[in-house]
Amino acid sequence: MRNTKKLYITAACAGLLTLGFTGSAFAFHSGGVAECGGCHSMHSPAAGGTFLLVGTDQSSTCLSCHEHAGDTGPSSYHISTADADMPSGVAPLQRTPGGDFGWLKKDYSFTVRGTLNTEAGETHGHNIIAVDKGYSVDTENATAPGGTFPSNQLACNSCHDPHGKYRRLADGTISRTGAPIIGSGSYNTSAAPAAGAAVGVYRLLAGAGYTKDGVTYNGVPAAKVPSSYNQTELTNQVRTAYGVASAGGHSTWSNWCSTCHPNMHSSGNMVHPVDQGLGSSVATLYGQYVKSGDMTGTAASSFLSLAPFATNSSDYTALAALAKNDNTALAGPGSSDQVMCLSCHRAHASGFEYMLRWNNEGEFITQNGVWPGIDNGASVQFARGRTEAEMRAAYYDRPATTFATFQRVLCNKCHAQD
Amino acid sequence: MKTNRKKYIAGILMAICLLLMTGKQSMAQFTESYLYNLSSFTGVVPYSWATLSCDEWQNEVYVVYQNLVTVFNENGMEVHSFGDSLDIGHILDVAVEENGDILLLAYNDLKSSVTRSNYRGEPKEEIKLKDLPEEFAKMHANRIAYRDGKIYLASEAQMQIVVVDATGRFVKGFDLITIFGLEEKDRTDAGFSGFNLDKNGNMLFTVPVLFTANILSPDGEIVSFGKPGGAPGKFNIVVGIVADSQGNYLVADKLKSAIIVFDKDLNFIKEFGYRGEKPGNLIAPESLTIDSEDRLYVSQGRKKGVSVFKLIHE
Repeated sequence: MRNTKKLYITAACAGLLTLGFTGSAFAFHSGGVAECGGCHSMHSPAAGGTFLLVGTDQSSTCLSCHEHAGDTGPSSYHISTADADMPSGVAPLQRTPGGDFGWLKKDYSFTVRGTLNTEAGETHGHNIIAVDKGYSVDTENATAPGGTFPSNQLACNSCHDPHGKYRRLADGTISRTGAPIIGSGSYNTSAAPAAGAAVGVYRLLAGAGYTKDGVTYNGVPAAKVPSSYNQTELTNQVRTAYGVASAGGHSTWSNWCSTCHPNMHSSGNMVHPVDQGLGSSVATLYGQYVKSGDMTGTAASSFLSLAPFATNSSDYTALAALAKNDNTALAGPGSSDQVMCLSCHRAHASGFEYMLRWNNEGEFITQNGVWPGIDNGASVQFARGRTEAEMRAAYYDRPATTFATFQRVLCNKCHAQD
Repeated sequence: MKTNRKKYIAGILMAICLLLMTGKQSMAQFTESYLYNLSSFTGVVPYSWATLSCDEWQNEVYVVYQNLVTVFNENGMEVHSFGDSLDIGHILDVAVEENGDILLLAYNDLKSSVTRSNYRGEPKEEIKLKDLPEEFAKMHANRIAYRDGKIYLASEAQMQIVVVDATGRFVKGFDLITIFGLEEKDRTDAGFSGFNLDKNGNMLFTVPVLFTANILSPDGEIVSFGKPGGAPGKFNIVVGIVADSQGNYLVADKLKSAIIVFDKDLNFIKEFGYRGEKPGNLIAPESLTIDSEDRLYVSQGRKKGVSVFKLIHE
């Protein structure tokens, strides 16, 4: 037993040392392809499955690690809350910038002026298919809205390259080869790649040439996130620093989304612009806007993670300086910074329809100074079947007092019509 | 020279025979038989990754799921449930004391609490934690276990375990980051799973990101075992762990969808379960518990509920 113990401790130390040299002891992906045996089995894959995967399907395999029953709150790399931890009236627990997929399982019904309304959970985000985890195909949209990508194929690997081949080289370009990946490139703490080395692209996102079910990406968007990004925003906001890059294997953010949603916000359709500079007028309003009826803000502290923007920079060092989780980088936009899909939507899922960052189904998001809920006397049309706690969670735990007593929807952060 | 060679070959053959015999013996010593899934009068209860614990004196199993605690008897039938109307927060886990009192671990308003209830689940008192050292003061437990008058509280996300007496007074604390020799920055990215106790009070848990199962003795000595891989006996994503009456360790691998069995000396014995729809197959097993009759309870995903196996040692 003692010998066994020594052996295991030695092995563990050796393993840790090896991992340590790669930059992060527990990253698993480490910016690129993870340990093969974490997802595949050469000899005992799932019966009837594909690619020798051990899980029932791709997304179930991912969520084996990225969801954990028993969480009590935001927990590192978990991006989904288990059914067991979401009884009726309890919101999903994770607060990642992309949002908790658990919102897809939160159906709400409420009666307004005698009419029963139902808000299906599947309207809250991207309906990934993860059979083991209870996520099923979108029943409303057969294809991606504004596109042809089939909904019955939507999985984590529709947007993320599970093998993480895309890498940022020392010269800043994105490639699928050219240098070994030494670690993640997603974080504000990630090392910049030296000559002869590379780091993984932001969040292992799909890049140029990555094809899935009839769509092909044409680049990877630029961004940085704080190394600790899954946290309540009760006190401090988490700022993901989205960048603007289109050269050298990059794609702007909304252009990247349009891989599957090409007709959603295309030019000439009289729709809200994306990937365009805010202009001085909107940038000024963003800086001044504090809350409904209050335009006394200053640009230097005006950032709101419920309405983020893309900084007009492809400099990853500059983006890293903006990616903070402690309210130390709250500067608002300049006129050349851009509006993008993620200014209004979360990437995975949100507490609201159309995966919006706020409830856009009414004029007010707060009422009488509180988050409207079915348990605090709020108007039914603003609570929309949620408890006050669920509503607060959907706003990442911000106190309602952050906003006006009767706060209007957050379109006004840029447009200030209130 | 020729004689030496013969002796050498004979020695190797003998060693191989011994190894084979030892292996066969291990295989023969442990078998499992699927019994049933936990059920109510309307059929199998379709839980997904419920949390399990066992009353080893009554051989009843407690299932925590969506703020409801349901009690099943040793035949796998629901006999009682409570929790949905309690005003103690979101119930995360339970443990049972010798006298039948139930310790309810709940989470509310960003902190965890322990409430002692009677056997019906009616609260008797909140157990306030006392004399916690500063390094454990901010721990939010999400797992609870009980043995020999001591309450064990574990925070899987914070990598900490605290032992208190029946009144809540601090007895001992374990910071797994320190024990593993890791850095503070790794705390939230590490995490552990499957917290349980064996009959000797050793703490059992897995660290999925390290592909290890672990045995932590009451005096803080750690033994880690396991290697990553898909081959039999290797770990994909390990979660629950329990020890049976013979000291064998059973580890749930939710990606492999199997229970991996090791003997008390940590030698791999066998795997069972595997993904599928047949009786005895498993879908992404996670939480494990075991009763005094060596009935193993396995919590699964995809609303497959809780499968029960009888472990047989011959």
